[in-house]
Amino acid sequence: MLNIILKLIVAAVIAGTPLLLGALGEILTEKSGNTNLGVEGMMYMGAVSGIAGAYFYEKAVGGNANGVVGALIALLISFLIGAFGALIYAFLTITLRANQNVTGLTLTIFGTGFGNFFGDYFGKKAGGSLVVGDAIKSAFQGVSIPVLSKIPVIGKLLFNYNWIVYFAILVAIAMAWFFNKSRVGLNLRAVGEDPGTADAAGINVTKYKYIATVVGGGICGIGGMYISMVSQGGVWVYDCVSGYGWLAVALVIFATWDSSRAILVALVFGALKIMRFYVELPIPSQFYDMAPYIVTILVLILTSMRESREHAQPKSCGTNYFREER
Amino acid sequence: MKKKIIGALLSVVMIVGLVAGCSSSSSDSSSGSSAGSDALSKDNIKVGFVYIGDDSDQGYTSNFMDGTKEMKKALGLSDDQVIEKTNVGEDSSCETALRELAEGGCNIIFATSFGFEDYVMEVAGDYPDVQFCHATGYQSAASELANVHNYFSSIYEARYLTGIIAGMKTETNKIGYVAAMPYSEVISGYTAFYLGAKSVNPDVQMEVQYTNTWNDANLEAQLAQALVDDGCDVIGQHCDSAAAATTAEKAGVWQIGYNTNMIDKAPKASITSCRCDWGIYAEYAVQSLLDGKEIDKDWSQGLAENAVLVTDYNEDLMPEGAADAVEKAKQSIIDGDLHVFDTSTFTVDGKEMTTYKNDFGTEFIKDGYFHEQEIGYGGSSPAFPSDWIIDGITVKK
Repeated sequence: MLNIILKLIVAAVIAGTPLLLGALGEILTEKSGNTNLGVEGMMYMGAVSGIAGAYFYEKAVGGNANGVVGALIALLISFLIGAFGALIYAFLTITLRANQNVTGLTLTIFGTGFGNFFGDYFGKKAGGSLVVGDAIKSAFQGVSIPVLSKIPVIGKLLFNYNWIVYFAILVAIAMAWFFNKSRVGLNLRAVGEDPGTADAAGINVTKYKYIATVVGGGICGIGGMYISMVSQGGVWVYDCVSGYGWLAVALVIFATWDSSRAILVALVFGALKIMRFYVELPIPSQFYDMAPYIVTILVLILTSMRESREHAQPKSCGTNYFREER
Repeated sequence: MKKKIIGALLSVVMIVGLVAGCSSSSSDSSSGSSAGSDALSKDNIKVGFVYIGDDSDQGYTSNFMDGTKEMKKALGLSDDQVIEKTNVGEDSSCETALRELAEGGCNIIFATSFGFEDYVMEVAGDYPDVQFCHATGYQSAASELANVHNYFSSIYEARYLTGIIAGMKTETNKIGYVAAMPYSEVISGYTAFYLGAKSVNPDVQMEVQYTNTWNDANLEAQLAQALVDDGCDVIGQHCDSAAAATTAEKAGVWQIGYNTNMIDKAPKASITSCRCDWGIYAEYAVQSLLDGKEIDKDWSQGLAENAVLVTDYNEDLMPEGAADAVEKAKQSIIDGDLHVFDTSTFTVDGKEMTTYKNDFGTEFIKDGYFHEQEIGYGGSSPAFPSDWIIDGITVKK
C-alpha cells in the first residue's frame, strides 16, 4: 500500500511540473495586471523550440553531444521563444492597448500552430521525426542525488526527479520571496493592483508590465519544453501540450495567485491527472478529468466570498493602463 | 498612426503563422479540373483520403499515408490525382471534407478513422457515382448503398506474433498494455497479443488500462509509467503515438509497438511493432475501379496476403529463438493450422467458451475457434466480444 502511494506521489510530481511552470509564468504575468490567456500557446512554442534547439545543437557537434549543454540550450531557447510569444502579447496589450482576453486567445491559437508547424517541419527535415539522442535524453531523466536518494522512502519521494522538477520548485520559492520581500516585487504588485497609484508613486508601469509579462512567458515556455523533453522523452509529438496550458491557468486561480502555494496545488492537479491509473475507484474516469476544474470553480466561489484582497486576482487584471485616462 | 501600422503588421504575422500551422489540413489542393464523363483511366482518376491526423503523428495516420504512397507508386498516379485531407475531426468537419473531395472530382474516397463512418454513410447517398471506402467500420454490409465499402486487415494475427516476442522477453511474467478505447478492435488486439505471449509462456499475466482517447500522448506516457510501476516489464500498446515506447525506454523496460516501427524513437526499449499495410487495399480498390470491377462490400486480409505484418526487429533486444518462433507461428496461421482465438487455449471466468452470437444471430465459434474479422461472420470489423476478458488479463477501468 505504502508502495503504491509512493509511486502515485512520484508520478503526480512528474505530471504536475509542467502545470507548475505554466502557472508560475501566469502568476508573474497577472501580478503586473495582465491576464495572458496565451499560456497554452507559449507552452507549445517553448515545447518545439526546446527540442529543436537541443536537436540542432546535437547535429552541430555531431555524435559527441554533451547532455548538460544540450539541456541548458533547451532551457534557454524555450525560455527565449516563450518570452517572444509573450512579447507579442505585451506589445499588443501594453503599448497598443488591445483587449487582453482576445490577444491572449489569439496567442494560444498562434502558438499551437507555431508548435505543430515547426515540429512537423523540423521532423520532416530530420527524415521522419524530431528525436534527440541518448546523451540529451538521459540529461532529462531522473537524477539520483548521491547519498540522499538512498534513504528509504524519502529518497524515492524527494531525491529522484529530473532537474526541471527542482528548478520549478526553486522558481516558485524565489518568486514567493520576490513578491513578498523584495522592493521590486512589491512595486510589481502595486502595478498589478492599481497602476495609477503606482505611476503616481514614480514606478515605471510600462517597464514593469513588459518585464513581468515577458519573463512570465519565458517560464511558460520552459513548462512546454518539459512536455517535449521529459513527458515525451525527447520526441516531438503532434499536439503534445494538449490542454496543459489551460489547466495551468485554472491552477493559478486554485493557488490564489500565490506561487509557493502553487507547488502544492500542482501536485494535487498532477495527482488528479494520473490517479485513475494507480488506484481503482468506482468512479467513471471522466470525473477525474473534470475534478481540477470543479475544484477551481469552488475556489473561485470561496475566495470571492472571503473577499480577501491578498488571495484574489490582482485588481487591474484585464484592463490596460492608459495614463491619460486616470 | 505608427503604432496602428505596427499593430496591423503584428496581426498579419500572427495570421500568417496561423495559416502556416493549419495549412497542412489540405496539403494537396485539387487542380480544379473536372472529372469529365470520359472513361476512367490512370490519367484522369482522382483519389481522395480523409485522415484523422497527419504524418507527424508517427503512428496511425503516418502508417496510413505510407500505404497511400505505395498505392500511388504502384499505380503510377501523379501528385494532383491524390487529394489528402489531414487532421480532420470525427465530427461535422469530416462531412465537409468528404463533400469537398466529392465535389472536387474524386472518383473514390477513403475515410480512415472509425468515427468517420456515420458521415461516410450520409455523404455517400448524395454521390452515388463516387465510391466510398471506410476503414475499420461495419455498416456497409447492411447498407443499401452500393457505393460504400468497409475494409480492415486482420491485425490481430500480427499482434499474436508480437505477443510471442513479449512472452519470451518478459522476466517478471507481467506484461502491460496501453489501450485506447474499450472497443472490440482494441480488445481483440490485446487478447490476441496476450494469447501469443501465453502460447510460449504459460505463466504470463497481462494488465490492461485505457486512456479513453485515441490520441493523447501525455496520457499514454503516464499510463505506460503506471504499468511499469505496477511491475510490468514489457509494454504493448494500441494507441496513436510513440509515447509508450519513450516511457518504456526511460523506465528501462521493453516495448512492442503498433502502426510504425518505433526503434528510432526508443532504440533501447522498442523491440518491434506490428502494423497494417493499408497500401494493399488502396491499390486493390483503385485498380478495381479502373478495371470496372465491383469493389468488395467488405474486405479483410491478413498475414497470408501481407496485409498485416511484423516490422523489422531490434536485433539487440530480441530474445533468443523468438524470430524462429514467430516465423513458425506465422506459417501455421497462414496454413490454417493455428487459429489465434482457438477456444481451447483460453477461458473466461474459468470456463471455456463454446458459443457466441452477435445481434444478428450469427454464430462466431465454429470448428473450435472464434472467427474474428472473417467475411461471412462479422465481416472485416473486429467482433471479439467486449465483455470477454479472458483469464490472465486484468483490466483496470
